[in-house]
Amino acid sequence: MRVRLALAGVAILALGGGPATGEGTPPSFEVPAAGTYELPPITRVGEHQLLDPAGTPGPILGLAENQAALVSFVYAHCPQACPAALAVLQRVDRALAARPTLASRVRMVTVSFDPERDTPEQMGRIARNLAPVSDWRFLTAASNAQIAPVLEDYGQDTQPLRFGDDDPERLRHVLKVFLVDSSRSVRNIYSSGFMTSELLLADLETVLGGG
Amino acid sequence: MRHVLVAAAAALLLTVSVAGAASADETCQSPYLPKIVGQEDFVYVWTVGMDGVGDGSDKLVTVGANPARDDYGKVVSQTSVGGQHEAHHGGFTDDRRHLWLGGLDDSAIFIFDVASDPANPKLVKRIDDFVEKSGGVVGPHTYYALPGRMLIPALSNADDLGGKTAIVEYNNDGEYVRTTWMPEGAEYGYDARINANLNRMLTSSFTGHANYMRNLGDLMGDAEAMQNFGQTMVVWDFHARKPLQILNVPGAPLEIRWALQPRHDYAFTTTALTSKLWGIFRLEDGSFEAVELADIGDPATTPLPVDISISSDDRFLFVDTFMDGMVRVFDISDPRAPVVVHEKKIGSQVNMVSQSWDGKRVYFTSSLLRNWDQGGEKNEQYIKAYDWDGVALTPRFEIDFLKAKLGRPHLMRFGSIDFYRGRVARGQESSSESGG
Repeated sequence: MRVRLALAGVAILALGGGPATGEGTPPSFEVPAAGTYELPPITRVGEHQLLDPAGTPGPILGLAENQAALVSFVYAHCPQACPAALAVLQRVDRALAARPTLASRVRMVTVSFDPERDTPEQMGRIARNLAPVSDWRFLTAASNAQIAPVLEDYGQDTQPLRFGDDDPERLRHVLKVFLVDSSRSVRNIYSSGFMTSELLLADLETVLGGG
Repeated sequence: MRHVLVAAAAALLLTVSVAGAASADETCQSPYLPKIVGQEDFVYVWTVGMDGVGDGSDKLVTVGANPARDDYGKVVSQTSVGGQHEAHHGGFTDDRRHLWLGGLDDSAIFIFDVASDPANPKLVKRIDDFVEKSGGVVGPHTYYALPGRMLIPALSNADDLGGKTAIVEYNNDGEYVRTTWMPEGAEYGYDARINANLNRMLTSSFTGHANYMRNLGDLMGDAEAMQNFGQTMVVWDFHARKPLQILNVPGAPLEIRWALQPRHDYAFTTTALTSKLWGIFRLEDGSFEAVELADIGDPATTPLPVDISISSDDRFLFVDTFMDGMVRVFDISDPRAPVVVHEKKIGSQVNMVSQSWDGKRVYFTSSLLRNWDQGGEKNEQYIKAYDWDGVALTPRFEIDFLKAKLGRPHLMRFGSIDFYRGRVARGQESSSESGG
């Protein structure tokens, strides 16, 4: 089924119930120490080719043995969940800069699921604004048809969000970030509002066995 | 053309508040689940098959719940899964596209696609090897969405069909992920509810297959068997799936509801055998305490508290008691001093209760367990819908599930057509989810 991305946008956050993450109360808890818990494989994803900001095709993962990736799916018109997630990922990026051994084993990949608006050039602008200091790549697809199987494989839902007017520009999606190891096993899945940079770093270290 | 993300990304290390506006949805879902915005169109009712009633099989019944639609108060569709599995609970996946429904007897799990045609959910997958895959866990009970996964606390085990049990996880494709056994000293299981902001999970405890599949009258006359009920709740480090604290909550604590508002770091439960309302409160040092708060009816008559539902503003807690068919509404504004502000007899027996996120609509169903439901004329089987104005319940519609040849209605979940079409009212598009 062709995923309709051309129309547009808002993220329905996967925050909910239970104690809602309300105004001014971002998640706050002591993260368990890396390596003291298990992250068994949840599912396995394939390797997919997408475009970098120069328009050059390349793999989403492309991991060497004993590497891991944080794969996030966003779109540029997203007003809330995607910026929140990127702010967390940016903190991971900065933290990795201070831990070169771990950083050498981690790749961050941000993929747009709105390729008709998020061109390679647009992803380049996002990258420049975030100014990554670690291996953080920004990818998009040539078309909705190209991104659809990627979203299907990762289980990233999206759909146009309509307000009853003729100018829909947002996408409903539960924002997800995937921790993928070098065998392409998904070791954890995070949703916006409930992930912190400390948690992501502890999980990376748990999967990679230190660093 | 706005480039919101680019602008936001330019603000390095920006702390973004991801808050939300309240709107309509059931209030007792996983925090990882997006909520429906607006009036629910359907109530999905997981229904226990009953010999001599219709085809006798467990089935998913879709009931119209939107007064603006022609099917309001009517059975819209039904899908039999074939056979009797002790249909019990279920829940949506984190994208709300699939509804997982379980059987407590043979541990079968049925996965319905509710997104393609919300009025006519379609059975797309069946899991028959839960016991084998999980390493001997029996009786999958609660279905609680996690990102890309389903958390399934269970009731029993294959070795002795007693109460020792585990929490099992599957991915959204229906593939087994892992089993976490309940800790020593608190081996029984029932519900699991997560406070993701605190990284804490609470679990409760009921009884094993040997008890819950037994005739209730026989069971209650068997003093030895009645010893085999849970007396504990467990506080977990959710991310690590590690138990931190065992709380003494005697009398089989069942459903757990975390408060929903920010900084309300407490939860409620009720005990089936002792008919008490309990609160679980976070202390300054981060640990939790369980506090007995109130009687539910007259405990000496064993009213048997069953399902509970918390309002999204943390003001009301609806508590059903099975044996007398009553709902009692507690005002929990002061969570350590709840007060009954309304009570009403719903039927000869009542079990489940679900309310809309805006607190205006409340639904009840009647069946507890095949062998625990009452007999003869007391075996009413229904869904009943009410309006709630903060003071009293006003009847809106009811469906007799025996006359309709459906069976024993149990779990309810809400469905919406517009949710899957992406249609929302502007200003309500991003919101925090209900849960508890």
